[in-house]
Amino acid sequence: MSLLVTQSLISSWNYLLRENPYSDATTEDTAMDEFITVLRRFPTPITEAIQNGIDFEEMVTRILGGFYVSDKDPWFSAAKKIAGILSGAQLQVKVSKHIEIEGNDVLLYGRLDALKAGTIYDIKFSKGYDRGKYIHSPQHPMYLDIVPDADEFSYLISDGINVWTETYRREEVQSIQYVVQLMFGWLKDHNLWETYETCWGSAK
Amino acid sequence: MIQNPNDRPVKDKKIRMLIAGYPGIGKSTLSLSAPAPLHVDVDFGIDRIEPQYRAPYIQPKDYEEIRHDLGMDVADKPDALAAVKKELEPFQTIVIDTGGKMLTLMSQWAMKIDPKYGQRDGSLSLKGYGFVGREFQRFMDHCFYILDKNIVIVFHAIEEKDGDNVKLRIKVEGQTKNNVWEPMDLGGFVEIQGNTRTIGFSNCERYFAKGTRGVNGVYKIPTLEADTPNNFLTKLFEQYNAKSEAEVAMIAAGKAKYEAAMKAGTDLIVSVTDSDTATDAAQKLSALDHALTSKDELRKLLADKVADLGLKWNKDTKSYEKVEA
Repeated sequence: MSLLVTQSLISSWNYLLRENPYSDATTEDTAMDEFITVLRRFPTPITEAIQNGIDFEEMVTRILGGFYVSDKDPWFSAAKKIAGILSGAQLQVKVSKHIEIEGNDVLLYGRLDALKAGTIYDIKFSKGYDRGKYIHSPQHPMYLDIVPDADEFSYLISDGINVWTETYRREEVQSIQYVVQLMFGWLKDHNLWETYETCWGSAK
Repeated sequence: MIQNPNDRPVKDKKIRMLIAGYPGIGKSTLSLSAPAPLHVDVDFGIDRIEPQYRAPYIQPKDYEEIRHDLGMDVADKPDALAAVKKELEPFQTIVIDTGGKMLTLMSQWAMKIDPKYGQRDGSLSLKGYGFVGREFQRFMDHCFYILDKNIVIVFHAIEEKDGDNVKLRIKVEGQTKNNVWEPMDLGGFVEIQGNTRTIGFSNCERYFAKGTRGVNGVYKIPTLEADTPNNFLTKLFEQYNAKSEAEVAMIAAGKAKYEAAMKAGTDLIVSVTDSDTATDAAQKLSALDHALTSKDELRKLLADKVADLGLKWNKDTKSYEKVEA
């Protein structure tokens, strides 16, 4: 059996630990509920913030594809700037890699927003931004692990008006495999390993 | 004139740098170790610098004075601009000390030229923040592209709680704190570790800095003795340019290989019309001399093409097959 690991699963687990490090399955709290929803692979509700992110990314994709986007749209200028950075990139690139952790065959899987000439790009739409916001995100260590030929990962962040970049080079990023190992240990300690195996395991 | 970025001479590339740290840690003296500095002493803090390390300075009372002294107000008047450039000729670096104070002056100037950039309490409006962010970018571009100078901007650092961690960030209000980082080539936090002063250019739990492949990690700042020259940044800039040169050569080689692989691969994929040509292309793509992420990018291009043609990979026959509708 192969065990699937995605960055959104690790993100959700990271969020749970940051929100309430003493949570367990008997604790009533939102972060735990959200994690269990992700762990059981139930659909998560699309919030306004998520929808804005989808719409903004779609606008960038439309500009890149040469489709009409009104320059009166308040997001147009920011989306065009990001499209300029991504010009010539491959979009929505599915990548995966098998690794072994504690005797388990683990499939790291991801979908890159864009890939071009050694750089992985991820578009973020965020109302507020502080430099270094994504330093603890599992996304860049995970994707840099899956794509060994990429040497940097760049977050392209916008609030619809401004565009900021936050870049991580391979040499300053720690391996995601250690984090996956920690998450596996936590799942076992909290009697959630079986749920994980059932929902995220698949035939090789 | 279209130029190949790989041909760009980098030996004397000008550098835009941000230095941050607690007040009194020695940022001003460090900033004046850059090559031939002009000290724009916005904080009026020159008295706090040891006399032997002081450099020629201006002490602007408002942002208009900075614009005037650096020729921003005559940027569209070639003769007047040439006169300013002549006056600035002896200087290779413009040191802004501090950036936070300059942004305050910039904000006051913005509200003076258009009241809508301000609020009743004297702070900037949302539009005002946007304007000041753009003006900061214009200022950087003027010093870098028009005056052709290195720029070192000093910022005070403040502590911010993030859960159990204490983080350092530059002391600037509003979204401007993110915008000032954008044009920088380097950004380092000065700290004292034991008796040693250091400047860190790599991201860590304490701060989010900005390094490059050539300059990253934590550097020890030498203690200045009576006979020690104050030239830490001059040496660092030399190192940056030397490494940039090596890096450009390395990137050029890798990029050429990448472009060649992408060209050959794209040509192969364009020629795919059916399952046979797709299978053939898949084999040939694997055999290409790949560089950077050409393999993953071409794989994605091929996946899109075969999807358009209604083809699917058969693991057993190791070939593409038409999917029956």
